Amino acid sequence: MSSRRSSQSGVSRISDDQIIELVSKLRQLLPEIRNRRSDKVSASKVLQETCNYIRNLHKEVDDLSERLSQLLSTIDADSAEAAIIRSLIM
Amino acid sequence: MAFLLSSDPDTSSPELKRKKRTRSAEETNAAPFTSQRQRIKRWRTEREQQIYSSKLGEALRRSRRSGREVRETADRLLAVSARGATRWSRAILSSQRGGAELRKHKKARVTGNGRLKKLAGGIKTVENRRLPAVERKMKVLSRLVPGCRKLSLSNLLEEVSDYVPALEMQVRAMTALAEIIAGEGGGVAPSPADQPGTS
Repeated sequence: MSSRRSSQSGVSRISDDQIIELVSKLRQLLPEIRNRRSDKVSASKVLQETCNYIRNLHKEVDDLSERLSQLLSTIDADSAEAAIIRSLIM
Repeated sequence: MAFLLSSDPDTSSPELKRKKRTRSAEETNAAPFTSQRQRIKRWRTEREQQIYSSKLGEALRRSRRSGREVRETADRLLAVSARGATRWSRAILSSQRGGAELRKHKKARVTGNGRLKKLAGGIKTVENRRLPAVERKMKVLSRLVPGCRKLSLSNLLEEVSDYVPALEMQVRAMTALAEIIAGEGGGVAPSPADQPGTS
């Protein structure tokens, strides 16, 4: 409640409540931190790791996009489609 | 009422879509807990991943195939899967459709709230004693998630909580897709160990 009030009043400080909310929410998203002991993680570290994680995911998507693009250009589209359908049915 | 309007985003007009989005955003805020959790859980289901994989496979079969276009298609389909429920997904769709006008309107609506501008500005000027590192990294994070540059902390957290599992699903699905197609083109029978949707 207080965190909501402080953001609505226009005062832009980040309250302790918000920090707690931030740490707990972000920790759930990160594969490594999830397994660590709960009281050891700072907000700054959690934020840093979230940023790194998202950047890594973006990069993976980029690499996969490249790979898919190359695969599709060398393979007959219909057999690729057929393979996809087969694998989904099975 | 937590169910969100899921009309086909491809056929809605931008204006109508905006009104629907406003309503659904309010509904979401009214009952954020259950519906947000359900949305996030969905990204982790095998079913959702398979739906995405097959849609992506079909779209790639039809479209041109540079790496960048594959990425755009993959992102667009991911955003569509979100069914208008999140800012990041709407931002992807509107930016891909050249929706600069939409963004202008959205900006006006969002910054009309006063607090958001102050949050962005206040990071530099106010509260030096109050964890500048945290606020700095919040800004970085807000730039990594589409459409989230000027959000309050809670809203940004909500978007990130949805965006990350969505991205993870995207990676799993595209990886599986690549293995299926690679298996096919190698001239060898596709390995039975390749299971799409395994996470």
